[in-house]
Amino acid sequence: MQDQISRAEAIGAAPGAIIHEDTAAKWFLVSSVAYFFIVGIIALLIAAKFVWPDLMGTISWLSYGRLRPLHVNGMLFGWLLAADMGLAFYVIPRLCGVKLWSEKLGMATAALWNIIVLGAVVCLLAGFNQGWEYGELPFFLDVLVVVAWILFGLNVFMTVAQRKYQAMYVTIWYTMGCILWTAFVYLTGNFATLFTTGTNQANLNWMYVHNAVGLIFTPIGLALAYYFIPRAANTPLHSHKLSMVGFWSLAFVYVWTGAHHMIHGPISQWLQTIAIAFSVMLLIPVWAVVYNLFATMKGQWHQLRESVPLKFLMSGVVFYLLTCFQGPMHSLRTVSAIVSKTDWIPGHAHMAVLGAFSFFAIAGTYFVVPKLWNKALHSQSLANWSYWMLMIGGIGFYVTLWLGGFWQGWQWNTWTIPFIDTVVALKPIWIVRFVSGVMMFTGIVMFAYNVMATALGTHEESAA
Amino acid sequence: MRDYTYPSIIFAYVFFAILAGLAVFFFARTLRQGYWGKDSEDVKFKMLEDDDTDRRLP
Repeated sequence: MQDQISRAEAIGAAPGAIIHEDTAAKWFLVSSVAYFFIVGIIALLIAAKFVWPDLMGTISWLSYGRLRPLHVNGMLFGWLLAADMGLAFYVIPRLCGVKLWSEKLGMATAALWNIIVLGAVVCLLAGFNQGWEYGELPFFLDVLVVVAWILFGLNVFMTVAQRKYQAMYVTIWYTMGCILWTAFVYLTGNFATLFTTGTNQANLNWMYVHNAVGLIFTPIGLALAYYFIPRAANTPLHSHKLSMVGFWSLAFVYVWTGAHHMIHGPISQWLQTIAIAFSVMLLIPVWAVVYNLFATMKGQWHQLRESVPLKFLMSGVVFYLLTCFQGPMHSLRTVSAIVSKTDWIPGHAHMAVLGAFSFFAIAGTYFVVPKLWNKALHSQSLANWSYWMLMIGGIGFYVTLWLGGFWQGWQWNTWTIPFIDTVVALKPIWIVRFVSGVMMFTGIVMFAYNVMATALGTHEESAA
Repeated sequence: MRDYTYPSIIFAYVFFAILAGLAVFFFARTLRQGYWGKDSEDVKFKMLEDDDTDRRLP
């Protein structure tokens, strides 16, 4: 009489409980973790090329100019945004108390996203590149990104529209904000730039680059942190009202800051000043978020000893605070005169995208994968090791490029030093960068293996 | 080549103005819908209660 047993009874859920299929979330997460590993290899090759510039000789598709855009786009869109989308498909239906609006549409979105990422790999390695920072993808892939984003946004907004609970938790606010802001930022950075030239094009491009981090990865990253920190610690958020202060101040402040990458460049002084003023104002949403998440952990810090997701989450919050202190300081004219265009910039960008937002995504993945596949995590010990590898390697990377960038900038500002001497002088910095990269890649391998072994393995069923 | 500088700047600023207007509109709605009132903290407790929905087919 197996057929007469309801699905809810079969899995031990309470009668009337919602059964989440989560297929779309699984597809996104598995592919994003695979890309994290693959693009990690590219990252390692790039770091090695800084130390051994002749590595791989003159093979055009393995040259720095081809690999670097692949690394940037692969990490941003192949790993991080895909992982964030998968986690959003897990989180949003649960916060709304309903199933995902369309699981099939979510799976179609995941399939399209994989086509985009694989297309990017082929095009960028082959040299089909629009030549704009973060906007390297060829036009037809840009169009596909817009289509995929509309499908993703439609699914999330329709799920929210049919929610069971009227009041929306801050994670839903940030996720919806991310969807709308991404539309604005991506269209401006990849389409409006087609119709401009020279300085105006550069200005629009930098607005896109900065807001790709600030209005795409920041809101979706914070959405996940606001969900997973209370859930992993099993303790309520310190203040929902304060989280709304952070959300709305981000909404009104962030979009103006992109021009701080053009300080001392050929743009209007008033635009530079506005960018500086709004960059400093960013401290408001940042401190609102960081205080809220730290206060949530009050009396709960002991849980970090046992919980790998919490380790990643709270380290991510610290890196978020640090990188968002670097950003406003970088925007100041005096600081920018030293660090602009130096190694300081990738150090800062990596602390944001890897140290903060990737840590949130890794934590979320570790948290949800055992629940999605209804199995215990393959290895807690390996998860712990992956944290320490990414943490120690990351600190080595960020600190080295931060200090190395200052050193590089001071050399560039000393006109008597020939440029090539500044390149040679940076070699010790790049050796530490490579060693740190090896550690980080080891952490990525451990994370990816652990997730895949959990998903594909035959480990015992989770008690959760 | 035609210069699209002004159309593109106008496009960007109009797009921004639309989004800023929407932000103001939705912010005003949060005031009306009680996100800043005395019951605004209830939602942070509610989000911890979704464990019952957290099961799926084997």
